[in-house]
Amino acid sequence: MKNGWRIALGSIALLGLAAAQQLGDLSRHPVPRVAAAPVSVVSVRAGSTATVHLPFRVAPGFHINSHQPGSELLIPTVLHMDPPTDIAIAKVEYPAGKELSFDFAPEEKLNVYAGEFDVSAMVRPTRNTSPGRYRVRGNLKYQACDDRACYPPAQVPIAFDVQVQKAPATRRARRNPPASPHIHQ
Amino acid sequence: MEVDPNQPVQEMPPAPPPDDGGNRSAIIIVVVILVVTGMLIAGRHMARNGGSAGTPVPAGNNVKGAAAPDFELTTLDGKKLRLSDLRGKAVLLNFWATWCGPCKIEIPWLEDLQKQYAPQGLQIVGVSMDDDPPAKVAKFAQDQGINYTVVMGNDKVADLYGGVDGLPETFYIGRDGKIVNRVMGLVGHKEIEENIQSALKQGAGSTAGGQ
Repeated sequence: MKNGWRIALGSIALLGLAAAQQLGDLSRHPVPRVAAAPVSVVSVRAGSTATVHLPFRVAPGFHINSHQPGSELLIPTVLHMDPPTDIAIAKVEYPAGKELSFDFAPEEKLNVYAGEFDVSAMVRPTRNTSPGRYRVRGNLKYQACDDRACYPPAQVPIAFDVQVQKAPATRRARRNPPASPHIHQ
Repeated sequence: MEVDPNQPVQEMPPAPPPDDGGNRSAIIIVVVILVVTGMLIAGRHMARNGGSAGTPVPAGNNVKGAAAPDFELTTLDGKKLRLSDLRGKAVLLNFWATWCGPCKIEIPWLEDLQKQYAPQGLQIVGVSMDDDPPAKVAKFAQDQGINYTVVMGNDKVADLYGGVDGLPETFYIGRDGKIVNRVMGLVGHKEIEENIQSALKQGAGSTAGGQ
């Protein structure tokens, strides 16, 4: 019996190797040309809003199309967020791109991001969100080029934490004070 | 307890060998695993070479003299094109996309060169790496006045040609189906023309090749 199970375990290892090879093929990604910097914890009360700034850096020698590159043929930079339930991400604001021309098209101005840039967004937990820390994940989709070539659309993953604090106590409608039984007029 | 001598003696079934059940289960598991592993490996092989044949070109520049891997792709007007159908011609295989700025610079040059060298046996083939539907690429091609064959590419063919990470990437293939040169990124008109002339010379008088 021991021999049989040894063979079985060996075969499982073989299967694992084959599966890992498959996954290796599936995970064929282009070389990243944009990096996301770490983001500090965003602290916000339930029912309120806070702004998160997401810093990115384009590798030297490369540029990526801005959010509004000016041609429908060009692939814009777009932030996609996947927040947990009860936390909304709204009002995503992209910086204005730089108008640059390149050797491959000196007469044409392209609207791009190069170097460092920030994308900001509003974080808004609902009033009923339980206090605690929540992780928000997402990605920035971009398409990079250098002076001689362009690279397939890619994405850089993003993650930041939101610390939700208790919502401020609800102010109740003021009622008329009860008439004091001790006051007699 | 008394034993009735008339009652037939019940024979106990022979005890199974202690390891038999376990071994049988293990063998079944092994067979299943080997079959699944074989299917995975076969699937991977088919996925990599689906609709295509030949040894993939390695990444990098050391590809001169290698046989250009064959493939079958669909043209913008819905026809099938196999690279091997072009055997005997010099082929400029240009990977490009509508969203690629440097690619657009090359397009008018390629149009002129197609016109100029077609009588000598040149065929330019643009392999669009767009994810957009062919109709959008076709409109772009029409707007640009592209006069050479354009096919819709895919990752499998890109893998056959070394991954094609950046665009444009151009392979110059001789009449014998062997790669004369690979050029990554935008280069000047003169360099493109020189590579075309080399491709036209290679394999002239011979159509045997690896396509």
